[in-house]
Amino acid sequence: MWDNLSLKEVVEYTKDPFPSIRKWAKEKGKKVVGSTIADVPEEVIYAFGLLPVTLVGTDKPLKKAPSRLPDNACSLARSNLELVLSYEGDLFDGFVLPQVCDTTQHLSDIWRISFPDKYVECFLAPRQVDRPSARYWVKEEIERLIESMGKWTGKNITDNDLKRAISLYNENKRLLREIYDIKKKNPETITNKEFFSLVKLSMQVDKEEFNKSLKKIKESMAPKKGDGYLDIILAGITCDPPEVYDLFDEIKLNIVADTLVTGSRYLDGVVPEDGNPIDALADRHMNRKFFSPIHDNVYRNFEEIKALYKENNAKAVIYIHIEFCESQEYDLPDLKKMIRKEGIPMHVLDTEYQTLSLSHLRTRLQAFFESLKGGSL
Amino acid sequence: MSETPKTDKPKKELTKAQMLSKKITEDYMSEAFRAHELGKLIGYTTAISPVEIFVAHDIVPIYPENHAVANLTAKKGIQLCSVTENLGYTSHLCAYARSDLGYRETGITVTKGIPEPDLFLACNAQCFTLTKWFQVLARKGNLPVFVFDTPEYIMNKKAREEIIKYCVLQLKELISFLEEITKKKFDYDRLKEVMKYSAESSILYKRFLDMAQYKPSPISIFDALIGMAIAVYRRGTPECVEYYKTLCDEFQEKADKGIGVLPKDKEKYRLYWENLPVWFKFSDHAKLLGSYGGVILTSLYVHAWSFEFDLNKDPLLTLAENYVSRFSNSTLEDRADMAMDLFKRYSMNGMIMFMNRSCKAVSFAVPTLKDVLVKRTGIPALVFESDMGDQRFYSETQIRTRIEAYFETLDRLQPQVS
Repeated sequence: MWDNLSLKEVVEYTKDPFPSIRKWAKEKGKKVVGSTIADVPEEVIYAFGLLPVTLVGTDKPLKKAPSRLPDNACSLARSNLELVLSYEGDLFDGFVLPQVCDTTQHLSDIWRISFPDKYVECFLAPRQVDRPSARYWVKEEIERLIESMGKWTGKNITDNDLKRAISLYNENKRLLREIYDIKKKNPETITNKEFFSLVKLSMQVDKEEFNKSLKKIKESMAPKKGDGYLDIILAGITCDPPEVYDLFDEIKLNIVADTLVTGSRYLDGVVPEDGNPIDALADRHMNRKFFSPIHDNVYRNFEEIKALYKENNAKAVIYIHIEFCESQEYDLPDLKKMIRKEGIPMHVLDTEYQTLSLSHLRTRLQAFFESLKGGSL
Repeated sequence: MSETPKTDKPKKELTKAQMLSKKITEDYMSEAFRAHELGKLIGYTTAISPVEIFVAHDIVPIYPENHAVANLTAKKGIQLCSVTENLGYTSHLCAYARSDLGYRETGITVTKGIPEPDLFLACNAQCFTLTKWFQVLARKGNLPVFVFDTPEYIMNKKAREEIIKYCVLQLKELISFLEEITKKKFDYDRLKEVMKYSAESSILYKRFLDMAQYKPSPISIFDALIGMAIAVYRRGTPECVEYYKTLCDEFQEKADKGIGVLPKDKEKYRLYWENLPVWFKFSDHAKLLGSYGGVILTSLYVHAWSFEFDLNKDPLLTLAENYVSRFSNSTLEDRADMAMDLFKRYSMNGMIMFMNRSCKAVSFAVPTLKDVLVKRTGIPALVFESDMGDQRFYSETQIRTRIEAYFETLDRLQPQVS
């Protein structure tokens, strides 16, 4: 199903991956487990012989979610809830929902009550990361997840099952990283939309199959530098709808580094393959770079973005703000101030999951880069 | 500074409890403003946080939320929030935070203000918003923030035991954090003493709230909202215990004499309120509802400070157990059970479910909670959306019309619900 996809097909599947997941699960007789972002250890779900699928919203109309979550709730949370309430709920046998903020905490309650007949477990991610207790807690939660999934599936997993899953997931991340490295230096080879579709689809389909596609895609890539590209850093949590990448491609922006959960933060999740796998997964949680604004302090976000900008000799930073994401909204004014004080050009794009027209974003983005090229910033 | 919300009631002679509240508040704020002279530090903290540890370590707790309430009740919301929005913060963030950041910029306040912080303690059993707000304040002075992370108290016995362990571990980290900043060893005996006061005042506070069981009820939620102030900012002290003893005596006397918020023959609807109040409509709502024979008796919000500390346990353990299990950190199912307990004990026959734009942490549960409570009680609910502090999100006509329509519905159903 996903083992021989072309880049064009990857983009199509990413736009709506669910028909293929439905078909695949039926053919293979596999159960499907949905998770919202971020930080659920997918390797655990995979080790149980299940297909973990990360949910990143839908562009289909909101029908049922507004009666559960009001219009000032995070756009991604509402969109994910809609995805399962109206469109794809039947596809999933269960859900593992991370709690990373107030909204996701409520979301997992609403979800559990909405699906009384399905397996709904939460993953209680720590909301502090600087003290020893955070690492202790992550490990506890991973162990609890394993125990809970064991009860649900009636299976026990061994360290080796987990190590096999880790190895497969690591391979996926390494392949994506290699393609990213080619893209950075050779923007004409693969568009931003194509590359970030590879990452997103990786979070949603069977890795064993998709890694084969990734290998073929990588091998078939003929690096082309192209002309007139401007290197930029993309910061934020997610970047949707996917047409936002079309805007970047249209005006020849080359994303050379990012801090997205659906980008580098995922790729940085390679887990050491020696030693105790649960410890390794807990260490991964703590060692990941780019702790999203949900957990992090603005200073660290700023230092990360500044370092990426300098290391990559980028020309600007684009920050993706998800409408009504409270965590981002408390951080943004100071983050903007720090970045601008450093003399780094920064543009904030306000995105919303159900947006159909991007003309206002296009206009603002064009104006920003015209002024940047004209040196008038 | 007066931390309690002002009402438009004509000036009456203060009761003994009111005089005591005034004195406790004045002494507290006077000490807070002289904290550095007295060799103490100021710790900003969330209303739901293990403040007993601060009290035991001579850190003066200050609650920016309380200060925000004073300003929002006095209708300063638009003025202060607009200042913050001009700094780039969106208009849909918590009005406490927005008004506070506006106060930091302008110094505008209806009180004497609050002293500047030395450190922060944010407990997300209340909400994560406060953590983010405190981080904004901390960045202004590069000050330390301790996040007491309380994972949702999920309905799984074994998980709860683990959550408690994690919380106890963090309380030990909090103590080390304070010891490092103050260069002073933490005194566990002192904590035990503070816990005694906190436990006693919590029992008394709950007794005060439970006056709502009487018919007619001598207490409305508006009394509870005024009466809770001392529990929020002075728990862990002997004066807090004294205050609630006095308050309970006064309300018990009313109950014994059959004095209700509304006279017995006028008390038709005993109402549950979900969420924080609309602070700037505080007394208007009481009057409006009263004119229909309605009295709001309680909410889970005011019960958030009726802790049940077990003095036979290790203080850190009982602190962890109590703070992690607040309504605002409980599952929707547990929240519904907590509300159902109040419905039964207080014989309530109506409910107003407020969708508070400012408080996402409480409000995002409201639509689902409403469905569960309506199903379990058979009582219709009034749902309205507004903001606890930002008048721009309050539509007087719309809300008045909805309240009127709701009472008409209740009147129609009266034989069934009474």
